[in-house]
Amino acid sequence: MQPPSPTIAAWLWLIPLLPLAGSAVCGALHFAALRARRRDPAALGPFAPAAWIACAAIGASFALAVWGFAQLLGLPADSRVLASPAWDWIRAGALSVQVAMVLDPLSSTMTLVVTGVGFLIHVYSVGYMKGDPGFAKFFAYLNLFAFAMLVLVLASSLLGLFVGWEGVGLCSFLLIGFWYEKGWPAEAAQKAFVVNRIGDACFLIGTFLLVRLFGTLEIGAIGAGVGEILRDPAQAGQVAIAALLLFGGCCGKSAQFPLFTWLPDAMAGPTPVSALIHAATMVTAGIYLIVRLNPLFAASGDVMLAIAIVGALTALIGATTALAQRDIKKVLAYSTVSQLGYMFLALGAGAFASAIFHLVTHAFFKGLLFLGAGSVIHGMHDEQDMHRMGGLRRHMPVTWATFLAGAAALSGLPLFSGFMSKDAILAAAFHAGGIHYLLWGAGVIAAAFTAYYTWRMVALTFHGRERFDPAAVLPHESQRVMTVPLIVLAVLSVAGGVLGLPAVFGPLPNLIEGWLEPVLRPGDAVLLARKGGHEAHLSHAAEWALLALGSAVALYFAHRGFRGYLAGPERDERLERERPALAGFLGAAWKVDRFYYEHVVSPLRLVAFLVAVVVDQFAIDGLVNGAGALARGAGGTVRRMSDGSLKSYALWMGAGTVVIALLWMWS
Amino acid sequence: MSVPAEHLLFLAAALFAVGMLGFVVRRNVIVVLMCVELMLNAANLTFLAGSRLHSSSGSPSLQGPVFAIFVIAIAAAEAAVGLALVIALYRLRQSVDAEVASELRG
Amino acid sequence: MAELLFYLMAAGALACAAGVVLCTSPMASVLSLLGSLSALAVIYLLAGFQFLAAAQVLVYAGAILVLFLFVIMLLDMGKVRPAPVPEVLAGRRAVLAAVIAGLVLVVGLVSARATLTAVQAAPLAPRAPGEPAPLAATGIDRLELIAAQLFGRYSLAFEAASLLLLATMVAVIVLAKRQRGPAVPTTELPTALDSARGHSAEKVLEEARR
Repeated sequence: MQPPSPTIAAWLWLIPLLPLAGSAVCGALHFAALRARRRDPAALGPFAPAAWIACAAIGASFALAVWGFAQLLGLPADSRVLASPAWDWIRAGALSVQVAMVLDPLSSTMTLVVTGVGFLIHVYSVGYMKGDPGFAKFFAYLNLFAFAMLVLVLASSLLGLFVGWEGVGLCSFLLIGFWYEKGWPAEAAQKAFVVNRIGDACFLIGTFLLVRLFGTLEIGAIGAGVGEILRDPAQAGQVAIAALLLFGGCCGKSAQFPLFTWLPDAMAGPTPVSALIHAATMVTAGIYLIVRLNPLFAASGDVMLAIAIVGALTALIGATTALAQRDIKKVLAYSTVSQLGYMFLALGAGAFASAIFHLVTHAFFKGLLFLGAGSVIHGMHDEQDMHRMGGLRRHMPVTWATFLAGAAALSGLPLFSGFMSKDAILAAAFHAGGIHYLLWGAGVIAAAFTAYYTWRMVALTFHGRERFDPAAVLPHESQRVMTVPLIVLAVLSVAGGVLGLPAVFGPLPNLIEGWLEPVLRPGDAVLLARKGGHEAHLSHAAEWALLALGSAVALYFAHRGFRGYLAGPERDERLERERPALAGFLGAAWKVDRFYYEHVVSPLRLVAFLVAVVVDQFAIDGLVNGAGALARGAGGTVRRMSDGSLKSYALWMGAGTVVIALLWMWS
Repeated sequence: MSVPAEHLLFLAAALFAVGMLGFVVRRNVIVVLMCVELMLNAANLTFLAGSRLHSSSGSPSLQGPVFAIFVIAIAAAEAAVGLALVIALYRLRQSVDAEVASELRG
Repeated sequence: MAELLFYLMAAGALACAAGVVLCTSPMASVLSLLGSLSALAVIYLLAGFQFLAAAQVLVYAGAILVLFLFVIMLLDMGKVRPAPVPEVLAGRRAVLAAVIAGLVLVVGLVSARATLTAVQAAPLAPRAPGEPAPLAATGIDRLELIAAQLFGRYSLAFEAASLLLLATMVAVIVLAKRQRGPAVPTTELPTALDSARGHSAEKVLEEARR
């Protein structure tokens, strides 16, 4: 099936390049601030404009994204593709890589999310980072991240996507370790980068395989060529392997089991970073990749099953771990891991549109929750331990109200956005049947836990008795520049459900499914072919039943969580007292990180020590220094030959003559 | 004379060895130069023995004697220059001992 | 008869060579060398190289050795008390020297034998079957043949040798020239540093001589 011929739109390059320019200007401002500070240590430097510049850059990108969206709407459904002129990047023998910025329904959705939510977070950061000496640097990094993410989303070639992939990894590193002077953020940043790297290695190998199979890295061409390749069973196996390797990359970037351990540590970065990168955008890159290459993944049932299993398992791990966390950001981090697991569960079940739907709603409500948590932390003067909060709704009403909206969406309370998208995922899992019933069950259990820990978090933070001294801490509501984005996101969290209304809700269409259909058509076709050509739909009765079950589970466990912690954190303390093993197991994310530390990091440290000290210092340095010492020794010995005495010179001459004669004789 | 050419060569080798021994062992520079002359003579003898080996009755091989003539000429020149140096050394150090001129030690 | 003479002369040459090395007085060494050279001249004659024998006596014994004698007498070696054998280097150096000389001898002997086995080993008078030995009569180095080679084929070498002799003469004159004033030890000769400091060479030499 031929990909639709695109409409040329050269201005698409502006979407990623505007934030890049903003980043450069903010960087320049940062250096100017450093110079000013060197002259006068008390000065903060001229970096106030950085805020405006950065927000303007990403705001402009958002405007362009909206414009692009409008243009796409104007095109007929089957040819909704805008493409910029391609840039010839690599020409190496048979491989020719060209990169163009392509706007189709999928990338348009992603771009709107990245630039829209990104813009709100930029505005929020103006208030959150006020007074920080690295103010301009922060915005430079944020804009750089926006550039990388947009390249990732808009690239037409897998290699261009990889450039963006690596770029967001870099920015994640830079932003997690933003306050590196404190020590542990630098370690967290390094951990994030290294774990991501493992995924990236898989990604690269998968890319190599794809080049070998398809001869090109153009995403459209790969998608179109899958049908051909599948006819050869040997090559079909290779396609599956390539897909699995790419999924490995997704595990790293999107924090799935077993590569999720970096995400909780990444909370060492400033909260806007957690909101933007580790909730709304970067971690969703993995989901985007799979949806982008949907024919490739749909081609192999085993890979899809693996994706679904990993997703369900991760959802469960994340949800159970979030129950036992005291740090508000850690709760949200594990919650993100869990929700990403849901998205992968959807992908594994073949419901690509539902995964994207959940991605969008998750960006809204998780971004909101993180920003709200940031507001709480800011208001509580950098206190993050929920056991020391409580009763904040009186001090921070706006934050509280918006947080409630986010919590409702996250826990899947009926009719909120989270409910719609999560239900779609669970319905897809249920519909897939077979082993997917087990995964559906895991999803439901995880949903129960999700509701429980979400409302636990709300109760501990905003309700109940104040477990701190209000006169000493003086909590206050945040400034308007921080609360307005919260309000916007709250509205979206509540109303976002309209994007994907389930079919049983009557005449209202599922907007997002219809929107994404042209992009998902090849993958759906492959899935259909594998299933034998008939597509059974979930019966209306089953759907209503699932909706009811989902609502009931969410409401019941939300209630239990809320009431259980309204009085305070005694339940946590009781759990720790009575079942310390369980508490430890849950609290440390099923001890996965501990396992890595004992079995991977420590042996590697030993090897590194061996190489550094034994091989490098003793062997190599010894060799080099030894060569010098040898030369010196030899020189000293030879020096003694020239003792100024004619006699010994004569002796040496004689000896030399003999040697030459002997050599000549025996040649 | 029907002495085998071998013996000529043996004699030359022996003379050369004695000359070399003296060259290395003696401290008097003039005697050292004399030993050099000895060695040159041994070389001359070798050339001549070679000439005898490669000549037949009708066609004498003349490279030997010719080379020997040149060797004698060179030996003369070398002896002259060497002795001039000895004189210069004597003027400087009032001695012809090989050990006195050892400023280039080490 | 000729053989006997040859071996006699060979022994003499060797003995005189030993004498050169072992004599304590330089004068005695010169006289030993004279003996050795003369014996060699006789051997050349016996082997049929008349011209070379003459050249040896004339140039080597007549000129070079005389030069040696002149220099010995000029430097008044008589003043140098002929030291006992300790004038010869003793100890390790001597042993090493003896070893080396021995090796040289061995090398010479072995290579002599090897050469001869490689080349057809011929007696001193190679003859075609049935031919008498004419060489002793006419000699190998007939003068006209030598001259033809010397001024013909080896004329370049000849001219070079004469140039060398010219250079040698100049060098000897320069080297042996009597200095004006007493000799100055090398450590007090004028150096570049002196001229850098503005002292003239003459003044430095004068200082040193005082």
